[in-house]
Amino acid sequence: MSSNPMHLPRVYGLLAEFERPEELVEAARRAREAGYRRMDAYTPFPIHGLSDALGFGRTKLPLVVLAGGLIGCATALGMQWFSTTIHYPINVGGRPLASWPSFIPITFELTVLFAAVFAVLGMLGMNGLPMPYHPVFNAPRFAFASRDRFFLCIEAKDPLFNERSIRAFFESVGAREVVEVEE
Amino acid sequence: MNGETDVAAPHALERFQRPALFLGAGALAVCAIGAFFAPAQFFRSYLSAYLFWTGIALGCMAVAMLNHVTGGAWGLPIRRPLESATRTLPLMLLLFLPILFGARKIYEWADPARVAQDPVLRHKSLYLNVPFFSIRALLYFGAWLGFAYFLNRWSREQDATGGRAISRRLQLLSSAGLVAYGLTVTFASIDWAMSLEPHWFSTMYGVLFIAGQGLSAFAFIVVVLVLLSDRAPFAGYVGPRHYHDLGKLMLAFVMFWAYVSFSQYLIIWAGNLPEEIPWYLRRLQGGWGWIGLAILLFHFVLPFLMLLPASANRNPRVLGAVAGLVVFMQLVNVFWMTQPAFAGGRLRIHWMDLLAPIGVGGVWFGAFLWQLGRRPLLPLNDPEMQQAAVHGAH
Amino acid sequence: MSRAVQPGRGGPPVIEPGHTYATVTDKISSIVLARRTPLFWVLGFFASFTLTMVLLGAISYLLAKGIGIWGVNQPVGWGFAIINFVWWIGIGHAGTLISAILLLLRQEWRTSINRFAEAMTLFAVACAGLFPLLHMGRPWLAYWLLPYPNTMALWPQWRSPLVWDVFAVSTYASVSLLFWFVGMIPDLATLRDRARRKGFQIFYGMLAMGWRGSALHWYRYETAYLLLAGLATPLVISVHTVVSFDFTIGIIPGWHSTIFPPYFVAGAIYAGFAMVLLLAIPLRAVYGLQDFITMRHLENMAKILLATGLIVGYGYVIEAFMSWYSANPYEGYMIGNRMRGPYAPVYWSLMLCNIVAPQFLWFKRVRTSPPVLFGIAVVVSIGMWLERFVIVVTSLHRDFLPSSWGMYFPTIWDWATFVGTIGLFLALMFLFIRFLPMISIFEMRTLVPEAGPLAMQPIPEHSVAGEEG
Repeated sequence: MSSNPMHLPRVYGLLAEFERPEELVEAARRAREAGYRRMDAYTPFPIHGLSDALGFGRTKLPLVVLAGGLIGCATALGMQWFSTTIHYPINVGGRPLASWPSFIPITFELTVLFAAVFAVLGMLGMNGLPMPYHPVFNAPRFAFASRDRFFLCIEAKDPLFNERSIRAFFESVGAREVVEVEE
Repeated sequence: MNGETDVAAPHALERFQRPALFLGAGALAVCAIGAFFAPAQFFRSYLSAYLFWTGIALGCMAVAMLNHVTGGAWGLPIRRPLESATRTLPLMLLLFLPILFGARKIYEWADPARVAQDPVLRHKSLYLNVPFFSIRALLYFGAWLGFAYFLNRWSREQDATGGRAISRRLQLLSSAGLVAYGLTVTFASIDWAMSLEPHWFSTMYGVLFIAGQGLSAFAFIVVVLVLLSDRAPFAGYVGPRHYHDLGKLMLAFVMFWAYVSFSQYLIIWAGNLPEEIPWYLRRLQGGWGWIGLAILLFHFVLPFLMLLPASANRNPRVLGAVAGLVVFMQLVNVFWMTQPAFAGGRLRIHWMDLLAPIGVGGVWFGAFLWQLGRRPLLPLNDPEMQQAAVHGAH
Repeated sequence: MSRAVQPGRGGPPVIEPGHTYATVTDKISSIVLARRTPLFWVLGFFASFTLTMVLLGAISYLLAKGIGIWGVNQPVGWGFAIINFVWWIGIGHAGTLISAILLLLRQEWRTSINRFAEAMTLFAVACAGLFPLLHMGRPWLAYWLLPYPNTMALWPQWRSPLVWDVFAVSTYASVSLLFWFVGMIPDLATLRDRARRKGFQIFYGMLAMGWRGSALHWYRYETAYLLLAGLATPLVISVHTVVSFDFTIGIIPGWHSTIFPPYFVAGAIYAGFAMVLLLAIPLRAVYGLQDFITMRHLENMAKILLATGLIVGYGYVIEAFMSWYSANPYEGYMIGNRMRGPYAPVYWSLMLCNIVAPQFLWFKRVRTSPPVLFGIAVVVSIGMWLERFVIVVTSLHRDFLPSSWGMYFPTIWDWATFVGTIGLFLALMFLFIRFLPMISIFEMRTLVPEAGPLAMQPIPEHSVAGEEG
């Protein structure tokens, strides 16, 4: 099962620590040039161009949100139209059964509500959160990823994974410290 | 971006200036002949055309002042076109004269015989009478010309000397100017357009006009910018980020205009009061309803859907096309807001309704291009310009 | 490019120089992770908790006796409950405005005030929501407002603005909560990593949901956050618009006015920013946050206060003019009654508070003096409450039929409920600043000079600014 039987316990990847975001972006770019594919960076704030440097594609999240909005819009219009004209038609102050102008406010609200819920659940779902356990937390200094340090991890699943060459690579791009992350 | 950049207006402007002027003057001359046969119709058609083009000039002033107050790099490439539009306001004062002369043909309340029979008009005659109407118009123009004058003068000073002090002065002027703009345009819209149906009233009306002016002026300037975008000095300066910002702002203007329009409609529709609802009945029945539907679809729905995705905003062609549509639909909207007052419930479009906007517009556009060519097209000495150069380069 | 230190238009910076990622993180998280609870917190929380108990008492008595204990009567069927509802929901607008609209407009200065403004929104909406529920008389049947398949096959009345309000306020509460929580996830992870006590580690760890700052996660996170901002922007405007429909759809003079939607929205932002100032000025003083909530923030908020105050003033002017211009005797009577009738002192105090007081904000010296700003914010908050009083009471107490004219006087229970919600609001605020980071840590990191141009403020770049209008 294990792709790397030499190490016990299994290795998740190699984690390099950087002090500045520019170094991290540069390292990510060079790592990708060197052919590494299974990697991720961990930073205390979003960094411009990092996801491009790591070669992540465009996210589909806007489409999910659009779908949510359309579902909310259709739900609201359908519910109001169905209840006033088919399920329980009743004359209220001489207004038409399908009072479209009056239906707009609720339609708008439900559109926004559904789109917002889809945005949040979509983001969490795509990110695989909540996730109670993740191997990178095993790295001793990883707590600084939420403070002032920048990390790059090349994972063991990468076809080119080789501890020695990766260590050498990390040192060549100015990593402050490189540690092995256990699965 | 340094001081050596050539920011003079391209000669292409001059090529369009004369034809526009001649086309406008010609159309107005034909309308003048029409006025001989159908004076009332001439004044009514002229009113819509005048309101639309004045709205663009005033809206440009408001957008320029808004940018001075809030700051933001989005205003830098369009500042000079906006200022040029404000310098057409003296022309609009001149073009207001026909409305003054034709007031009796246009406004019910200007006819003493009608007023004598109508208690509501008698009540309003304290406000709605021709002398006071003229004095108010002068006051409005006095305020507009005053603010436009200092706006342009100080901007020119900044071109020569630069410096933050002038920016701050412009900011203060613009804050006061926006207050004055809001009040004058509100009352001008009541005087010039709402009083066409003197029994009707809506407290939202001024805001509706302000929103329409802001939207059409902004869209007009985007059209101008897109047309000039492949020429110096814009070619090397205006980038996707600018278009993106302008597109998003235009989306905001479209949404605000739609919001104001829909709110007024919903409140009056739900209230269904005999003193309010006739305004919409006249505009939604007998053929006018189709124009109303077209306004909904092409003044809001289509521009909204086009401006929503970011990709469209970054494409100058798409952005320019949407902006052009919005400008045209605002013309239709002004027509739809004013002309049903005279139509007696039936949709009819006179040839002068079509020609008058071309006439006023041609003359106005000629004057606009003339003014645009007289000053550098980019405010190089604005302190924000340096930052904007970085901003546009992304 | 140290844009944080030198903002484009001059003036003070959005964060004082000398800060780094680490100092920003430590300073803000230490407020939450400190072992010792400061004395003023204990005293403040105790005071507001006492007021919350007053609210609890007032509600208990109300449930036992019914709304007869309030001052509402015929013809004034809407009294304090609606006034307070509109007042609170208006205050709740500033949070989302700061978070969403200023984000889309790339106003960096929003960063240090958005978090607690969002919390303020949630708590204000919670206070607001109490009032219509209590006013129903039988709050335990509140679920009748929702569309559910009941035994009588009845549906809510979709043409009624009160039903729109149910949807608007509950949507607003839900989306604000999502926005607030999503914005906090990375900071919760910071607190989880920095907490030393086991209990706190578990508490923040649960809330952070395993956030690890992955680049891919950040990318999707930013997209989601921007989309939420784009959605929240029209939403926040729609909410007070729908509140204004509660009045305008009724054909009562003084209520049925088309200007109400934008004028209510401006009034809401006006009251909301006043409340943000009321909270920000003491907070920065007691927690020493002057480095993060700088003079620039106070001045910008003062400017927004002035601008929205002017829009509100515009509404008053147009309303008064149109009531004459309309030539409608009822409209004319309504405005005359406001100015000279039994509630004239309230009307004129409202004018003083809402139109005269903000004019001082034209002066830079006023805008940059925290005590004076605090005073103006108090006056504006009172003025906005009086505005709702005038709208609700003066229009109702003079019915179309003079035989049913009457007066409205609040009772001790009205006051107790109102004051109690202020206590509830403050108590929730105190809990918030003690247990959650009141300033967005990760966004502040992007503003420190060492972050440089790579640090990404969530700038609208790849996203859509507004989804479905």
